[in-house]
Amino acid sequence: MAQLFKPWTNSLARGTIYVLILGGALGGWIAYGIQTSPYASYQGVVRDQPVPFSHEHHVGGLGIDCRYCHTSVTDSSFAGLPATQVCMTCHSQIWTNAALLEPVRQSWRTQTPIHWTRVNSLPGYVYFDHSIHVAKGVGCATCHGPVDRMPLMYQAQTLQMRFCLDCHRDPTQYLRPRDQVFNMAYQPPPDQARLGRELAERYHVRDVQSLTNCSTCHR
Amino acid sequence: MKQGDNRTSEPFEGDRLWRSLEELTDPASAASAALREFPADNPWRGPDRADAPSRRRFLQVLGASAAMAGLVGCSDRPVEEKIVPYVRQPEQVVPGRPLIFATAMPFNGYGRGVLVESHEGRPTKIEGNPDHPASLGATDVFMQASILSLYDPDRSKTVTRAGRPSHWGAFATELTQRLEAKRQSGSRGIAILTGAVASPTMGAQIKDLRRRFPEIAWYQYEPTARVNTMAGAQAAFGRPLTTLYHLDHARIIVSLDSDFLFEDPMSLRYARHFANARRVRSDTREITRLYVAESTLSITGSMADHRLPVRPAMITQITHALAARLGVAGISKLQFSGELDRFIATAADDLKQHPGTGVVIPGEAQPPEVHALAHAINQALKNVGTTVTCVEPAEVEPTDVRQALKKLVEAMENGTIDTLLILGGNPAYTAPADIPFAQALEKFSNARVADGRLTNFTARLGSHDDETTFLCQWHVPEAHYLEAWSDVRAADGTTSIIQPLILPLYAGRSAHELLALMLKETAQSPYELVRAHWRAQRRDSGDFEQWWLDTLKKGVIDGTASAPVQVGAAKIPAPSSTPSTSVTSLDLIFRPDPCVWDGSFANNAWLQELPKPFTKLVWDNAALISPTTAHRQGLWDGDAVTLMISGKQVDAPVRVLPGLPDDVVVAHLGYGRRRGGAVATDENGVRGFDAYALWASSTPGFATGLTLQKRSRRWELVATRNHHAMSALQGVDHVAGVKPHLKPDVVVTPETSRDELELKNRRLVRVVSLPQFRSNPQAVRELGGESAKKPVLSLYPTSWDYSQGPQWGMSIDLQTCIGCNACIVACQAENNIPIVGKFEVARMREMHWLRVDSYFSGSPDRPSVYHQPVPCMHCENAPCEYVCPTGATTHSTQGLNEMTYNRCIGTRYCSNNCPYKVRRFNFFAFGYQSSKGPEQLQKNPDVTVRTRGVMEKCSYCVQRINRTRIEVEKTVLDLTEQQRTDEARQRRQAMYNDLQTACQQACPTGAIVFGDITDRQSTVATLKAQPHDYTLLDELTTRPRTSYLARVTNPNPALGEGGVA
Repeated sequence: MAQLFKPWTNSLARGTIYVLILGGALGGWIAYGIQTSPYASYQGVVRDQPVPFSHEHHVGGLGIDCRYCHTSVTDSSFAGLPATQVCMTCHSQIWTNAALLEPVRQSWRTQTPIHWTRVNSLPGYVYFDHSIHVAKGVGCATCHGPVDRMPLMYQAQTLQMRFCLDCHRDPTQYLRPRDQVFNMAYQPPPDQARLGRELAERYHVRDVQSLTNCSTCHR
Repeated sequence: MKQGDNRTSEPFEGDRLWRSLEELTDPASAASAALREFPADNPWRGPDRADAPSRRRFLQVLGASAAMAGLVGCSDRPVEEKIVPYVRQPEQVVPGRPLIFATAMPFNGYGRGVLVESHEGRPTKIEGNPDHPASLGATDVFMQASILSLYDPDRSKTVTRAGRPSHWGAFATELTQRLEAKRQSGSRGIAILTGAVASPTMGAQIKDLRRRFPEIAWYQYEPTARVNTMAGAQAAFGRPLTTLYHLDHARIIVSLDSDFLFEDPMSLRYARHFANARRVRSDTREITRLYVAESTLSITGSMADHRLPVRPAMITQITHALAARLGVAGISKLQFSGELDRFIATAADDLKQHPGTGVVIPGEAQPPEVHALAHAINQALKNVGTTVTCVEPAEVEPTDVRQALKKLVEAMENGTIDTLLILGGNPAYTAPADIPFAQALEKFSNARVADGRLTNFTARLGSHDDETTFLCQWHVPEAHYLEAWSDVRAADGTTSIIQPLILPLYAGRSAHELLALMLKETAQSPYELVRAHWRAQRRDSGDFEQWWLDTLKKGVIDGTASAPVQVGAAKIPAPSSTPSTSVTSLDLIFRPDPCVWDGSFANNAWLQELPKPFTKLVWDNAALISPTTAHRQGLWDGDAVTLMISGKQVDAPVRVLPGLPDDVVVAHLGYGRRRGGAVATDENGVRGFDAYALWASSTPGFATGLTLQKRSRRWELVATRNHHAMSALQGVDHVAGVKPHLKPDVVVTPETSRDELELKNRRLVRVVSLPQFRSNPQAVRELGGESAKKPVLSLYPTSWDYSQGPQWGMSIDLQTCIGCNACIVACQAENNIPIVGKFEVARMREMHWLRVDSYFSGSPDRPSVYHQPVPCMHCENAPCEYVCPTGATTHSTQGLNEMTYNRCIGTRYCSNNCPYKVRRFNFFAFGYQSSKGPEQLQKNPDVTVRTRGVMEKCSYCVQRINRTRIEVEKTVLDLTEQQRTDEARQRRQAMYNDLQTACQQACPTGAIVFGDITDRQSTVATLKAQPHDYTLLDELTTRPRTSYLARVTNPNPALGEGGVA
C-alpha cells in the first residue's frame, strides 16, 4: 500500500502550525489595532455640529472661562451644555446677522433646543462625575486636550478604560492645584511627581485600591 | 423556644422552620432542591415544551457558542448621541442632579405624603414624606409601585365616544350643551359618581355644583371604604368618626381581625409606632404585647405574641366576652371553654392591668357592632385620649358607599336621572354582586328614544379602557396623581397639596377640570382651581404666595390635622342575632388583595410579580384554605373549585395556607379583570378569579354558607415560597413518605445525635422570648451553636484593610420586620429590576434582588410566622468572587461585593456558589428589550440597565453610596482647605448617617439599617454590637456584612409560650 502522506506533508503540517500561530497573532494585533484606533474610539474625529462652534475663538481668543457655559461642572456629574439663552446673551448683540448663527437664533425664536452631537462619549455602564474630578485637581485639559486650540471640537483622548485607569492607578502624574483646573495654558512643573504627591495628600485623593474599585465607575 | 429553658440538653425540635407544607412534609426533596440553584424539572414542561436538546444538538450549540463567544465580546461602534440643552435653563435644574418634590398620593380616598425624585423633569422614584403623619418617611407597596402606573403603556390616551376616538372639545361641547339645557329645565336628572372624596377643593367644587344645579345627585363609591368603622362610631356616638390609634403609647394591643399594620389608611404610621414600642435592645425591659384574634392570616397576625385563628363570626362573641370581662356595662357574660376562654381571659387581664396603655383595635371586616363594643372597651379601660382618639372624618361627606351605589342603580333603573358622570374608580368591576351596577349602566347607556337617539348621557373619567369605560358613552383619560394639581386629606385630617411632577403624558384630565367644565368656570386648570380654593381659605392670613411655596416644599399644610373630638359614653348596640356558623358550610372572607388592592393596581406588573405575603403567590389570586380544611375537602394546591354562596358561584384555584382557621375560605378582591390592560388580563382571558362576583353588599367582610365543589381541572399557580432555599439540611428524611395533606409529626428523633442536629439546624431565623433574652443575652448566639464569635481561619491572605472607614454593613431586625414587601418594590424601582412574567417565575427566574422569606414553625394549624428579608450578604469572604472566571464580581475596599455587568459573560458559577441564593441571572433581555415603551422613562439613570446573559444582585444601592461619597468628599475638601478638620469629620459622619438604601428608606418599621460599621456612633454599628445580632450560615465563614437581629417574642406567662397553640 502506498504511503498515505507524502514527505512534503510534514512541511505542510509544520507550516500550518506556524500559519495558525502567526495568523492568530496577526488577527489579535489587527483586532487590537482596530479597537484602539480612532475608528473605534473616535479619538481626534471632528463631529458635525449644527453650529460650527469654535472653542479656539471663544476660549483661546476671547478668554471665556469653561464654567461660563459648562455651568454644572463643579456641582454635577454632567458638565452641562449651555442653554440657547447663554449663547444669546452675547449674540443678541454681536454677530446678530451672521448666517452661521442662524440655528441659534432659530432655536431662540421657536423655543426649540439645539441638537448638538456628543463629542466625548462614555458607554452607558460607565458613570463619570465631573464635579469630583474638578474638585480634586484634575484639569479640564487633562482629558479634553487643548480645547483652546480646537477650532472644531474633537475628542482628545481614547476615553477607553485604559486611559481612565492610567490616572486612577497613579493620579499624582496629573494632579494640579485646584486654582489651575480651568487654566488651559497650565504646564506641569518639572517636579510634578513631588507636587502630585503633595496635592494628593492635601486633596484627600483616595488610595489606588479605592480608586480602582469597580464600583468607582461601574454600578 | 422551648429549648431556651434547658438549652444544652434538649434538641431544637420545637422550632424546625419550614417555608411551605412541601418543605415540612417532604424534607428530603426540599433538601435536594436546596442543593440545586434551579429546579431540576421545569414545572410546566409538557410535550410542546420539550426543550431538552439531543446530544447532537447540544454539541452543535456548544460549538457555535464557542465560535460566537469572541464576536459577542466585541461591542458596537458607539452610536452618535445627541445632547439637547434647554433653550432657557429652568432655575434649580442642574443636569445630572435629581430634584425632590413633596406631594401626596391619594389611596383608598385618603392621602399619603410622598417625596418624588425627578431627573430632568422625569419622575423616577417615590419615597415617603417624613413630615406627613400617614407616612413618616415610609412607603408601602402601592406608593412605591404607583410610579410604574404613571408610565403604564396601557393607559387610555384619547377621549373616546362609543369606543371611537374623539377629542376634548367635542366632549366639552356636548356636556355643556346638555347641562345648559338641563339648567333651564330645573337641573333634574344629573348625577355624578366619584370615589370617596377627601379633597377640599373637590368638596368646594361639588358644593358650587349643587348651587348651580340644585337637583344634582352626588354618589360616592369606593369598594374598600371603611364603612363598618364609620358605622361603628355612628352606633356608639351617633355620628361617623374616624378612630386613630397611638401605638407608641400602647403596651397591650388586642387586634380583633384588624390588619392595622397593613390595611389601615394610617398603617404606615401604626407600623412605625408599633415597631418603636416593640424593638429589643440589650437594655430593653419591656415591649408591647400583641394579641390577635383573626379569621385570616394577616401581616398583623404574623407579628402576634398570641394569635387565635377563629371563624370570622366568632370575633363578635369574643368582643362581647372581652367587654363583659372588662366591666363594660350592659353586657351579659358569655361562656367559652378551652383555649378560647384562656385567650379572652388573659387578654382581658392584661388590658385591665394596663389601663390607659392598652388598646383594642377592631377590623374593618367586622360588623359595626364590634366597632361600637371596641369603643366601649377602650373607654372602660381609660384608653381614650392616650392610645385611642376619635376625630372628624377627613371625607367631605362620609357615606355608606354601598348604599349610595344601590341608590344610584335604582335611579338609573327608574329613570330619575338621565345624565351620569363617573369620575375615577371602576365601579362596573368593583360593585358588589347583589348591586347590578354593570347591567344597569349598560342599559342606561344604550337606552334610546323612538327616533333612535340616545336617551341618556354617560361619561367616564378613567385611567384605563376598563370594564366601566366599556359601558359608558364617553371616556376621558384621567390624569395620574403625578400629572395634575389637587389636594387631599389624610385619615387624620392632615391636608397636602398634590403637586404634579410632569405634564399629563396622554392629555389626561383631572376630576377638578371636569367639574370646572360643569361649573362653566373661567379658570379651568387644576392649578388655578386648587390655588383659588386655598387663596379663599387663607384670605385673612398673610402672604399667600409665601405660604403656598412653603406648603409645597413641606408637603403638608400646617395645622390641618383634626383635633380629637370629645365623645360621650359609647352606646352599645343591641346584640345582633348571632350568625349561625354552620358546621356543614364554610365561611367566605373578603379582603383587598395585598398586591393589586381592589383591582386598581391590576395593570401594574411590579405588583403582579410581587410575591404575596405568606402564600408567595405571583400573578394570581387563590381561594386560601387551612391544611385541615384542605384535608377534609380532599383538596390541594391548584385544584379548581366552584365557590357557591347565596346563588352566586365562581371557579377558583385553591391554595393551602397554614395558620388559617379551619372552615374558612379567604378570597382576595382585585383579580379576574376582564378589561383594563395587558397585565391586568391574561393572554388567555382572565387572570385569577373575580371575588367581587361573590361579594354581597350586606356582608362586606365575610359571608357564611359557602359550599365548595371540586372540579376536575387544575390551575397553574406559581409561587416563590420554595424558591432559593438556603439550607439543605433542615429536615430529616423520616417523613418523606407522608402525604402532603396529612399533618406531619415532629421529625427529629431521639436517635438524632447532637452534632447532626446542630448541622441540620442552621438557625436561619432565631427566636427567643423576652424573659429568656433578659436572663441570658447570649441565648441567640447559643441557638446557633456559637456561644462566642469564633475566629475565622483562612489560608487566603487578608487582602483588604477593613479598618479604614467607611465600611458598609446592614442590620435587619427580624423583630420589627412585618413582611409588608415595601422593600422589594422599592428595590425594584431604584435598581431598574425587570419583571419576567409568570412562566419565568415558575422556572425560578424572578429577578428581585431582595426577597422576603416567610418561615413557619410549629404545627401547620397554628404556626408561628417569621419574615426574613434576604438581600446580598456582601460577604467579606464571598464564595461568588473566587469562582468568577472574568473577575466580574469583585470586592471593594469598602466591603462591597461588587458586580460589574460589562465584564460578566454569564457563566453563572457565582450564583451556583452563593449559599444565600441572592444572585439573579438575565436569561433573557428582560429589562433591555422592554425599553421601547413609556415605561423606560421610569428607569433610574444612575443604575445600568442590564442586558441578556448578565448576572446581577443587590449592590447595597452603590449608586446612592457613590453619590453620597462624592458629596462628602467635596464638602470635606472645602472644609479641610480651611483647616477645619474636626468639623469636617463631623460633617462626614453626618452625611454618611443620612445615607439610606432604597429598602431601608421604604421600610415602615425601620427594620433595615444600613451604614458605616467602623463609625461606632452609627446606628448600624450599635445594632451589630447587640447580643442578639447573628449572621446567616455563620459556619461557612463567609463573614457576611448583612446581619440579623433575632425575633424576640413577648408571650404572656399565663398562656405559655408561642401563642395559644
